[in-house]
Amino acid sequence: MSAATATATLPALRRARAFSSLGTLTGRRFQLTARTPRELFVPLLTPIMFALVIAPALKSALHTNASYESFVAIGTVGLLIPLNTMFSGLGVIVDRENGAQRELLAAPIPRSLLVLGNLVVAFAITGLQVAVLIAVATVRGINFDPTATGVLWFVAAAGLFAIGMYGIAEILASRVPRQEEYIARVPAIAILPWFLAGALFPITALPTGLTWVAKFLPLTHGLALMRYGLLGDSTGLHNIWGGMGSTASAALSLAVLAGFALILTAGSIRVFTRAALR
Amino acid sequence: MIEVRKLRKIYPGGVEAVSGIDFDVEPGEVFGLLGPNGAGKSTTIGMLTTTVAPTSGTAKVAGFDVAKHPLPARRASSVVFQEAVVDRSLTGRRNLEIHARLWGVDERESKARIDELAATLDLAELVDRPVGSYSGGERRRLEIARALVSGPRVLFLDEPTVGLDPLIRAELLDAIAGLRGRTEMTVLVTTHYLDEAERLCDRVAIIHSGRIVALDTPAALLSELGPEILELRVTGSAHAAADALRARGIAGDEAFAVGSTLTIPLRDTSSGEAIATVTDLGIATAISTRQPTLDDVYLRLTGDRLAAAA
Repeated sequence: MSAATATATLPALRRARAFSSLGTLTGRRFQLTARTPRELFVPLLTPIMFALVIAPALKSALHTNASYESFVAIGTVGLLIPLNTMFSGLGVIVDRENGAQRELLAAPIPRSLLVLGNLVVAFAITGLQVAVLIAVATVRGINFDPTATGVLWFVAAAGLFAIGMYGIAEILASRVPRQEEYIARVPAIAILPWFLAGALFPITALPTGLTWVAKFLPLTHGLALMRYGLLGDSTGLHNIWGGMGSTASAALSLAVLAGFALILTAGSIRVFTRAALR
Repeated sequence: MIEVRKLRKIYPGGVEAVSGIDFDVEPGEVFGLLGPNGAGKSTTIGMLTTTVAPTSGTAKVAGFDVAKHPLPARRASSVVFQEAVVDRSLTGRRNLEIHARLWGVDERESKARIDELAATLDLAELVDRPVGSYSGGERRRLEIARALVSGPRVLFLDEPTVGLDPLIRAELLDAIAGLRGRTEMTVLVTTHYLDEAERLCDRVAIIHSGRIVALDTPAALLSELGPEILELRVTGSAHAAADALRARGIAGDEAFAVGSTLTIPLRDTSSGEAIATVTDLGIATAISTRQPTLDDVYLRLTGDRLAAAA
């Protein structure tokens, strides 16, 4: 092999090794996270309860039309993603306190892969749960109006939001010493924004000050974009961006979510690496 | 195979765990870092395995600077940690497979190695059970098997027998001693058990308060104490008793006390003469003579701290 060929193949070998290691870490995390179907589907109970029981009850009590159920069904996706990703972060603390984290830190792999391996599994499980939620809602008779492009908007919004939320989970897990402290902070991070982000009602129904706060929440952009994609409803986007066109508003909200995902993922790798290296 | 130069670690908050230590470990050598809890042994291993960032100094593992080239340094080595570091809900085999894959051992090769190590370390019956069901000794053996599955050139063992009952400890020491015969691996083992160091190590560095206070073969360290030791349980102050014996030419500067036990290396004095002098002075409730052990070397070098603790 010539020197030039060797130089060219070295990065390719490194990439192949990195992918192989990422596959091993992902497989490990999946085995630790979802050993039984119960562990996969129990987290779905609360959001499904919201979509199938509470939303119809609210509709009936408030005498709204059927589209409110669709509105809330998407809103529950905004609860499922933060809850699931935040609880995935617990695995990082378990690894550190009672698991094999130190062994993995001594492995000849970039430490960013440890975070990415966890992220892949959190992302996949969250994706599965969102798909199940939408499927169950559809079976229950809740109407969605998906187009191919709309589904792409939905998937991109849900995916980027899940990635960003997992970044928050990983950062919190790296900085908080004990599981109890971590769990105590989950409601403030996963549930509080949900009440402000237009999950149950449009953000314009909030007092003016809170409407402005809501516009800065990534979840507000995520929900508006998911409704735009799956319901063809751009009201949420217009509530954020004003009179701008729907596609432009959607692109801007997607950019917000992409920035959220990128910054939080990079931040989580940095925080994990620094916290792990004593 | 391991080169350590002026290696120093100060943790946030200003605690200096390792204070500029130097040592080399030759290929194939079993090298012991011996010292009490908090001496800096685990921090040293942490820096060599790149899980602790050195404050200053350099360290090389298999020729790779651990700060500048951590990945090749980690690829050449494996570590067995002081605490249990395993995935308890996974089987022993899965724990071994994950290590093999991350260290780049191909699948077929790793399967053969896992089967061989499981047989060698008496894990064949257990390896397909979740690790959570293992006893402490079984889990330790699994961790050693895991460290070996990648065929490391350097193996770090951080207090490998701590917390184990005497029988399991003896079995594990047999297993570790057995590694010497079958591989050309370099081993760095930390321990505060003197008998372990004496049994396993070619050379021993005694580390105390972050500094290496002695480094030599166990035999050379023992020879510093002469052929025989006089040990007394004194009635009053150990220091006063040592002074009295020093005045009679029995004790030298190497005498040391831990609590009420005074230990005196006998170089130029016979044990009979020493016992007669002690009896004459009436300073001891119990007198014995014996050959020196590595315990005596260790206590002589770290005695002040132990005396204060006692």
